[in-house]
Amino acid sequence: MKTKKNKSNIFNITTFTFVIIFLYIPILLLVIYSFNDSKFISSWRGFTFKYYGLLFKNKDIINSFKNTMLIAVLSTIFSTILGLVSALALENKKFKGAKFFQGLIFIPLIMPDILMGVSLALLFSFLKIKMGMLTVLFAHITFCVSYSIIVIQSRLEGFDYNLIDAAMDLGANKRQIFFKIQLPLLMPGIIAAALLTFTLSIDDFMITFFTSGRGFNTLPVYVEGAIRRGTITTINSLSTLMIGLALFFVVISKRIRKYLFNL
Amino acid sequence: MKSEEYLQKKKNLYSWVLSFPTMAWLVFFFLIPYIIIIIYSFLQTDIYDVKAVFSLDAYREVFSVEYLRSFYLSFRLALISTIVCLLLGYPAAYLIARSSEKIKNILLVLIIIPFLTNFIIRIFSWRIFLSPEGILNNLLIYFKFTESPLMLIRNDFAVILVMVYVYLPYMILPLYSNIEKMDFSLLDAAMDLGANKLKAFYKITLPLSKDGILAGSILVFIPALGAYIIPQLVGSQDSLYIGQIITYKIKNIPRNWPLASALSLILLLFISVLLVLFYFLHIKFKEKMVELDEN
Repeated sequence: MKTKKNKSNIFNITTFTFVIIFLYIPILLLVIYSFNDSKFISSWRGFTFKYYGLLFKNKDIINSFKNTMLIAVLSTIFSTILGLVSALALENKKFKGAKFFQGLIFIPLIMPDILMGVSLALLFSFLKIKMGMLTVLFAHITFCVSYSIIVIQSRLEGFDYNLIDAAMDLGANKRQIFFKIQLPLLMPGIIAAALLTFTLSIDDFMITFFTSGRGFNTLPVYVEGAIRRGTITTINSLSTLMIGLALFFVVISKRIRKYLFNL
Repeated sequence: MKSEEYLQKKKNLYSWVLSFPTMAWLVFFFLIPYIIIIIYSFLQTDIYDVKAVFSLDAYREVFSVEYLRSFYLSFRLALISTIVCLLLGYPAAYLIARSSEKIKNILLVLIIIPFLTNFIIRIFSWRIFLSPEGILNNLLIYFKFTESPLMLIRNDFAVILVMVYVYLPYMILPLYSNIEKMDFSLLDAAMDLGANKLKAFYKITLPLSKDGILAGSILVFIPALGAYIIPQLVGSQDSLYIGQIITYKIKNIPRNWPLASALSLILLLFISVLLVLFYFLHIKFKEKMVELDEN
């Protein structure tokens, strides 16, 4: 009996270890090779920071980084506000439009990126809107809003309505109830939604690829173009920085949550 | 009584007002674009744009051998990567779910971190790893497994490998959250009653994790059907996936937007059928569970 249990456990641990190695090896190698003093990836020619220096001199990279951040911040703000408002609307269980609305929120989540990209590209060309920053922003809000609604909704589900009754009994008015009770209690959900949409926005390639014009690049679109053109030298170091940024982001968001909400 | 009705009415009005901005947004930027796709698929193509002339050209072209092959390739990719993700993901998710609270969190973070690294960069890192002058080939030559570098990239195998790599967390996370909620005392009960470990797994653990398996499979299968960038970066130009064909027809000159629209619609139709099927499977499974409960 005991040996059998161990056997299946060993199998699970082996698979898990394999999965972890599989997930990390390419990324680790990329990081190591970003310090390689060679134009080609094949051979190791010694340690260098050269390509990191080149990176900060590259105007295209700096520009597309700024664009990525601008789009991410704006789409996070818009979709979190829309998400909060919609989640509050859906709180009403007798709301007649709820079924249609929920469907409208869920379907974009499962559709492949390419379909949303194609359909938005055709929409903008049909309306003769010039592709650029605005079209990318519209597209990002469109794919982010469903995520923020769902995250905030899941927080609302555990909401203790007795608190509102208690506040009303104590003479609080509607505005006070919203700003002093509901909003602070919803804050962790709102922040989680904002973090999620921010990550989704900076990571998106496909939809941005279809909705950005020639003059407007985000970082993922720039990186893809650089890989395609074969201008590879700075890509390793850029990737390493982006991985670092992602890690930093994870730590920070955890700290924020811990600090503010003891989560 | 009357005031309660009035209050409910007011509440409903509130809900309409609050949901209006998002509803309008999604109708305009999500639903209407699909209507435009439908319209465009019935128009005539131009090198840059479309001509506003009714035509069935796109639908005549769609069923050519070339495009049917692309659909087949995408379907095969989706199926194989879903199965591989499931085979690798299930034991991993099971291990996480049954670990102690502290280890559980560490393992989950380990799975999520690569997930947060940019998608394109993860694909690119495989390109470096597998390329003819890459690390894996150097190792293979060093250890005398092969004399000249192997062509590990630019083929369908590389596409499947990277697909599994990118979408594995999408399989592990829903499986984990499903297995974690499972009542493991059922397993002990079954084994007390004389079932062996394997039998207990097939009769109890597996059926109970069906929801997680379905959710994870949808999250891998559907994006894989529309894959563009993975086959573009590590696949061969001799076997084009449907995502690549659609993107080329939209972006590269000579463009063919009606054809791209028709192909997108077929993809959409296929996915819709699949989702309806999944939905009924899910419902049926729920009914079965209720029956079991009642017995």
